[in-house]
Parts: sequence; structure tokens; C-alpha cells
Amino acid sequence: MPAPSLIRNFSIIAHIDHGKSTLADQFLLQTGTITRRDFRDQLLDDMDLERERGITIQMHPVTIYHKHTDGQTYELNLIDTPGHVDFSYEVSRSLAACEGAILLVDAFQGVQAQTVANAFLALENNLAIVPVLNKIDIATARPDAVMAEMETALGIKPEQCLRASGKTGLGVPDVLGAIIERIPAPPGDPIAPLKALIYNCHFDTYKGVVVYIRVMEGSVKLGSKIKLMRGNQEFSVIEIGQFRPGMVPCQELTTGQVGYFTAQIKIIQDVHIGDTVTDLVNPATTPLPGYKEPQPMVYSGLFPTDNEDFEDLREALGKLRLNDSSFTFIPEVSDGLGFGFRCGFLGMLHREIIGQRLERDCDLDLVHTAPNVTYQILKTDGTVIVVNSPADVPDGGQVDEFREPIVRISFLVPSKHIGDIMSLAAERRGEYIRTEYLSPERAIIVYDLPLADMIFDMYDKLKSFTHGYGTMDYELKEFRPADLVRLDVLVHHNRVDALSVIVHRSQADRRGRSLIAKLRKEIGRHMFEVALQAAIGSRVIARETIAAKKKDVTAKCYGGDITRKRKLWAKQAAGKKRMKQVGQVEIPQEAFLAVLQSDD
Amino acid sequence: MIELSEMKEPAPVNSIFIGGGTPTYLPPLILKRLLQAINEWLPLGSAGEFSVEATPESVSDETIDVLADHGVNRVSLGVQSFQKESLVQLDRIHGPQHVIPALERVRRRIANVSLDLIFGVPDQSLADWERDLENAISLAPEHISTYGLTYEKGTPMWKRREKGLIMAVPEEAELDMYLASIDRLSNSDYQQYEISNFAKRDRRCRHNEVYWANDAYFGFGVGAARYVQGKRELNCRNTADYIKRIMDGREATTQSEALNAEDSARETLAIQLRRTDGIDRLQFLERTGFAYDGLVKSRPNVLLAEQLIADDGRRVSLTRRGYCVADAIVSKLAFG
Ligand SMILES: Nc1nc2c(ncn2[C@@H]2O[C@H](COP(=O)(O)OP(=O)(O)OP(=O)(O)O)[C@@H](O)[C@H]2O)c(=O)[nH]1
Ligand SMILES: [Mg+2]
Repeated sequence: MPAPSLIRNFSIIAHIDHGKSTLADQFLLQTGTITRRDFRDQLLDDMDLERERGITIQMHPVTIYHKHTDGQTYELNLIDTPGHVDFSYEVSRSLAACEGAILLVDAFQGVQAQTVANAFLALENNLAIVPVLNKIDIATARPDAVMAEMETALGIKPEQCLRASGKTGLGVPDVLGAIIERIPAPPGDPIAPLKALIYNCHFDTYKGVVVYIRVMEGSVKLGSKIKLMRGNQEFSVIEIGQFRPGMVPCQELTTGQVGYFTAQIKIIQDVHIGDTVTDLVNPATTPLPGYKEPQPMVYSGLFPTDNEDFEDLREALGKLRLNDSSFTFIPEVSDGLGFGFRCGFLGMLHREIIGQRLERDCDLDLVHTAPNVTYQILKTDGTVIVVNSPADVPDGGQVDEFREPIVRISFLVPSKHIGDIMSLAAERRGEYIRTEYLSPERAIIVYDLPLADMIFDMYDKLKSFTHGYGTMDYELKEFRPADLVRLDVLVHHNRVDALSVIVHRSQADRRGRSLIAKLRKEIGRHMFEVALQAAIGSRVIARETIAAKKKDVTAKCYGGDITRKRKLWAKQAAGKKRMKQVGQVEIPQEAFLAVLQSDD
Repeated sequence: MIELSEMKEPAPVNSIFIGGGTPTYLPPLILKRLLQAINEWLPLGSAGEFSVEATPESVSDETIDVLADHGVNRVSLGVQSFQKESLVQLDRIHGPQHVIPALERVRRRIANVSLDLIFGVPDQSLADWERDLENAISLAPEHISTYGLTYEKGTPMWKRREKGLIMAVPEEAELDMYLASIDRLSNSDYQQYEISNFAKRDRRCRHNEVYWANDAYFGFGVGAARYVQGKRELNCRNTADYIKRIMDGREATTQSEALNAEDSARETLAIQLRRTDGIDRLQFLERTGFAYDGLVKSRPNVLLAEQLIADDGRRVSLTRRGYCVADAIVSKLAFG
């Protein structure tokens, strides 16, 4: 068991793709934590989706040992974090378990929006920052210019910056040395009552909840009787250990260490991220401050295609939330879709990933309804309600004021694209705030604009405008009154609440028309005519009809044909399972997304 | 023949149908041996139907004599069209001039004749098709089949369509042709008894009735299907492969499938619904062990409301509009 003076805890933070996981690979290899034989690229990215997409989605802690030039062996607890803005809560949680952070900057791409955002997060947490220029091996690296950007944007002096390559391993020993020398040893009193921060969890079918902890004070041993302070539940520790990177049991975790424990916790609601673990007999008096829960940016409904899967979905959501407390879910009933959940996400990628994790890991077929942001409505009776679903918007007469969320958004772009960004922002009802130059070539442009106009596709638009060189970051600012309406969709004269959207009145006609046109393409022909209408209140603003299927008949049906036909029909029936039956009309999943894309 | 003789003992049957490769192309001597083998292994009951497919240009007096001498009592003549252009499109080697002589030759010995027609041929108009129907009716066959043209993958026609050399007739036009068949034929004493089949009184094709009741049947030869003891089997479709298998003393079956009781009931439902007789609830229950209403749940409601099916409490059948979308209906009712 190392003394706190021989422990260093740090996260690796950066903009997306700047090489965090690859640098972590080098740490694992160069400290001998993993052998060449067991190695694969971005080894810590162990979730299937992470490997398929080549991005980190959740934090990955690992403990390594490094012999420093002073002859001492240090225990380094590192946490690799995701770079995508939608997963920034993972970064916040990781930082709270550390005293320092490696801030990686791609030596070619330079300072990007999440470089700035994550660096500020680390500073707010009072962490020591070790700035590292990464990918120094690439021919187009421009280290001096990038260091100048770091100085302008973050006040980091060039002489503080280390240079490394996660790919070749160049400069990695220096980075390990700097971690030990520049990051403070964990504080805390090893003989004080136990205080450990729960910074993450996952569910294991055999062991129950695996609780990821950072011990702040005292220590916790195998067999210790412990208490979770928020709910006062008592447990005894059945397994305790470290991530190396697999779960390796040990006897004890002491002040400053990072690891996990299990205690046959089967009721997932018992465990809260940010809660404090203490000793049952000799408890701490005050819990750790924990985390501020993040505010979801987008909401959408998740409905099982088969209503019988509702309970399974609830359980799956619960387990997933243990591992990612940045999404929220509450039950919701839709006339068309039956029982499901209204879920809140940090962004569109987050929404997509959660959906896929549920469908894959839990083998559920889901309908995802179109996403929307949160609104506030001042009703004529003077009360203010919070609306996370278009279905909850009261009828026109009861609405005094409709308010929408505004974000402050920072675009970091090559100077030559400033004009493009300004027209994009103007199109989206943006209000210009300021421009700052990082260098003559690169600028930060700041706007306030409605979250709803940003969240769905602004990132994609920015990427295509700037050929990938522009990045952005945003934070919620306030709610402002706006002229908004609920646009409803009627399929075969039934209102499908899951297809309703909230739009600005000036855009309602156009949205209505394009939405109906999209739906027309997505919904197949039926044996009868299907009417599609878009309406605001009782006023129909767009309509289309899907003509009835007129001819669908096999002329010949003899011997061998019969088998072929039956297989085809059985296949069609299976296909229909992925559709939602609304009234007599079968609506495919894609149709629910049409609402999303109806603006192009 | 070899495949036939592999049967352990003769199996008496009520109907025999020889089709597919057009047996009338066989030299009379070989045809004779085939028919002898059939007579030996599949003796036909006294009131049985023995039906053979023939193309107009392959019918000679000699062939017809061989057929009639061996108990064949029904011939289905693949006329397809009375118009040269359509026959060329369909890659047929006969011309309109072959039809009447062929029919006369058949009728000399065999009284029960069916004509097969195809509609929806590229460039065919509704008027063309109506003329084909009139021509067929004027020849007074006992039975008429009208098939909408289907482009089977890999056939020359399919390839021509893929290359854009020919264009399928528009759906609306094909639908009009189909409805014209129903109207014309029923006005001329041909009663529709299945989607594509029409017959004079008591002249329904016995073998078709077996297919569409989903009853058991044997099948021999290349690509033949059989349905015996609840098991569906399919012979290989490639002639060379078929011959090799038979010569090696192996079975010609390449696909075999035993359906469970419920799947088999759904299939029966799907097939029986194609008949004008539709589904008789009582018979269906006796036959499959499943109640119609239990299988289809509430799915018929919308079909009834849209008048695509009719239900008199005992029988459920397709309406005139229902025939046109039979596949969609059957798929929905039987499979959900
Ligand atoms: N040439 C070069 N390429 C690198 C280096 N480090 C990483 N890369 C490449 O950059 C890409 C992104 O690397 P990752 O390690 O997955 O980046 P990350 O920062 O972990 O990405 P996220 O976790 O998704 O934010 C991969 O294709 C790596 O092979 C480096 O030092 N040199
Ligand atoms: Mg990564």
C-alpha cells in the first residue's frame, strides 16, 4: 500500500481525437502494465460502440506503476476521458477524483473548442495542468504556432509545454516524469474516518453494482462495514480492488487511491454518483460535495416497439444510468406509441449512443421520437410549467408566454470562415456577442442563440462549412420569450402526439409542409388511402395523401411458390414488428425521425 | 421415371398433373414410357383427373393419341396470347396460327381443355388484352387461366427489363386488365374460383383445388414440389444436377421442411384465401386444428371496413377489390 506521497491521480483531457486514448496506451506499454502481446490500439476503449466509432464514450480508469528518476516507484491512477462535448459530464466526474490533468493538444490542429472548455473545467476544480503537445511525429505539426495559441487562449507558457507522440512513444517518459513532479500528491488524512467519492459505477450480473471510488480520507478494507451517506444504506465490502485495467482484487484502498468495491448491491437505486462512502462504525460527519447533476439539452421519447418490453426497458435504463448519470428518464404515455420514457440527453450523439446501447446490450427494439429542448410556459393563470415534450404544451388559449432556452455558443474557426459562421448564426436567430483572435488565422466568435436552433445540426453544419476545421462549445444561458407554437401531425385523422414539434411561428408553414412531405415518403402504401395533415390547433396548414395500394397480387401460386411466398410473408410480418401501429396505419421508425430532418 | 420407381409401393391418387417442362416435347416413345410408369406407380381413381400441360406448336396427333391412350383426360394449353407481338415479347416459339389447329387436335381425343393466357405483357394495351379474352372465349374451352406477367429473376425477359430494353406495363393498366378478365369471363359463364383461374361449371382443375385447399400432393421431376405428410419438399431446379442425383441413386430433394402445426395453419389460411370459396371456418378448424378467428385476432377489422374481404359469419373471402391486393391481405391476415 503506497503512501499518499507516492500516489498521483490525473485525467487525460483534450478536444476530441487529439490522442488521449493513444497516449494512455503508451503509458500502459511503457510502464509494463500491459504486454505487447495483449495490446491493441486504444486499449481502454473496451465498449463495442467505442471501438466501432473510434471514439471514447465513457471514462476509463486504470492504475499503473512507474519507477521515477528519484528511484521511487509511484502509483499513478489515470482516467482517460472522452473528448466529445456530449460526454463532458464524464470529464467533470473524472476530474473530481484527481489532483491533476494532462491537457493534450494536437500539434497540428491546435487549440479547439473543447480544449478550452476542458482546460477551464480542470482549472475550476483547482487541478494542476500538465500541457502536452501531442502528435509531434506528424510532418505537418506546427508546435510553435500551437503553443502561441495555448498562451493566448489559456495563458499557458510555451516553456511549460511538453512534446510527445502517443503513436511513436516519443517524449512519453518525460510526460510521466512531469506528472510526478508537477501534480501534487493526494491530500487527506489516512487515519481519519473513511470518506470516498463515488465517481462512477457499472452493473455486473454476478457481483451487483461495481462502485468506482476515490478514497479522500481514511481507508477501506475487504470486509469493512460501510455506509452510503445519501441514503444511509449499510453494506459490507465483498471485493475491493483496482483497475489494471481489468478488475484486480486487493485487500485495502487507502487515502489517495482509486479503485472499486462490490457489496452485492442489487438495488441500483441505492447507489448515487457523487455520493460519499464512509465507515459504518466510525463515520465521517460531513459528506463530500459530490457533483452538480448536468442539465439535459435535448429530450426525446423512447418507446419499446413491443409494449410488453416496457418493464425491460425500465430496468435497462436504470442499469445504464448507473454508468452514465448524465441522462434522465421518466415514464411517459403516448396515444400512439403507448408506454415509454421521456429521456433527457446532453446532445444528439449522446442520444444516439444511449439508444444504441439499449438496443444492443439489452436487445430491445425502440422507437426514438424526434428530439426537442426544454421550454417554459407562463400560463394565463400565472403559473409557470416546464415542458420537455411537445405533447405537454397546453392548448393555445392557456399560454400567456412561451419561453425557450438560449445558449451562449463559442465557435473556434479559421478566420477566413468568420463570414460563413456569422450568416449561419443570423439564419438561426443568433445575437452577436464578440470576436476574439487566438492568432491572425484563428478566431473565437461568440453568439447567443436558441438552443433549439443549435442542438440538432449546428455541429454538422459548422464542420461542413469549415471543412472540419471549426469547432464549437456552448453553455445554457437563460430562457427568453419567443413566438412558438405546437405543430401537430394527424395520420389518418388521428393526432400522433409523438410526431408533434414545437416551432417558431414564422417557420411553422414551411416546417409543416416539409414534415408531411417527408412522412409521405416514409410511410408505406396501405390497402386504403392514408391522409396526412399538419395542423396548429385546429387549423390545418399542410396535407398530403398516400394513395391506396392498388395491386399487390401474385398471379401464380403453386407447389414451390407456396413455400417462397410463406417465407416472404413471414419476413414482412417480422419487418412490421419494427413499426408502430397507430390506428390502422403502420408507421416505420424512420418516420419519427423525419420530424428531425424536415428542415433541409 | 427412376424417381417414381423409388416409391416403395404404388400409391393410388385422385388427380395427376404433368407440367413444367412441357411433356409434349418428349418423343412419343419416351412419353409413352413416362406415362406407363405413372400408371404403374400412381394409379388414378375411377373419376380421377389426369392433366397435362402442352404448348400449341408441340401438339401432334401422335402425341395426343399417346396421352389419351394412357388415361390423360385434360390438357392445359399454353396459348398465352393470340397476338404475335405479345408472343414474341414472351419468347414463345408458337404463333397465333398454331392455336386453333392444336385445339382441334386435342379435342379429337380429349374433351376437357384449358387455355392459359398472360396479361401485362410489355406494349400490350387494354384493348389488346380484351381481344385475347374474346378470342379465348370464342373457342369455348372448359377452363381459362389468366396470369399477370411476372418477371422471374434471371429469365431473358427479366434481363431485358433490367437493361431497360422493355418496360413493365404501369400498375394501373395491369390492374384494369385483371379486372377486365374477371368481368369478361364471368359474363361468359366462366366462374372465377381462384385469383387467376376461371372454369365452366364443374370444370375446375382438380389439381389446383388440391393446391389451394393446401391438401397433400406428390411431385416428381426437376424443380418439382411435393407436400406429403405435412412435409414440404422441393427437388433441385437444375436439370443436369437432377439427372446426376437420380443416376447416383440419391434423392432429388434439395429442400425439405416440416412446418409446425401453427405455421402450417397460417399457410393454409394464406392459400385458401386465394380461392373465391375463401375460408370456411368449420372446415378450417377441422383441417388445421386452429380456429380462424384465433389466428387472425382483430386484423380483419380494417379489411372488412375497407371492403377488401367479406365475411358472412361462416365463410371469409376476398372481395373484387380484395383480389387486386390479395398478397397484402393474406400477409396481414395470416402473418400479422
Ligand atoms: N500521427 C499520430 N497520430 C495519433 C497520435 N495519437 C493519436 N493519433 C491518432 O489520432 C486518432 C485519435 O486518437 P485517439 O487516441 O482515439 O484520440 P482521443 O483523444 O482518445 O479521442 P476521443 O476519446 O474520441 O476524444 C487515432 O487515429 C490515432 O491513431 C500521435 O501521436 N501521432
Ligand atoms: Mg479516446
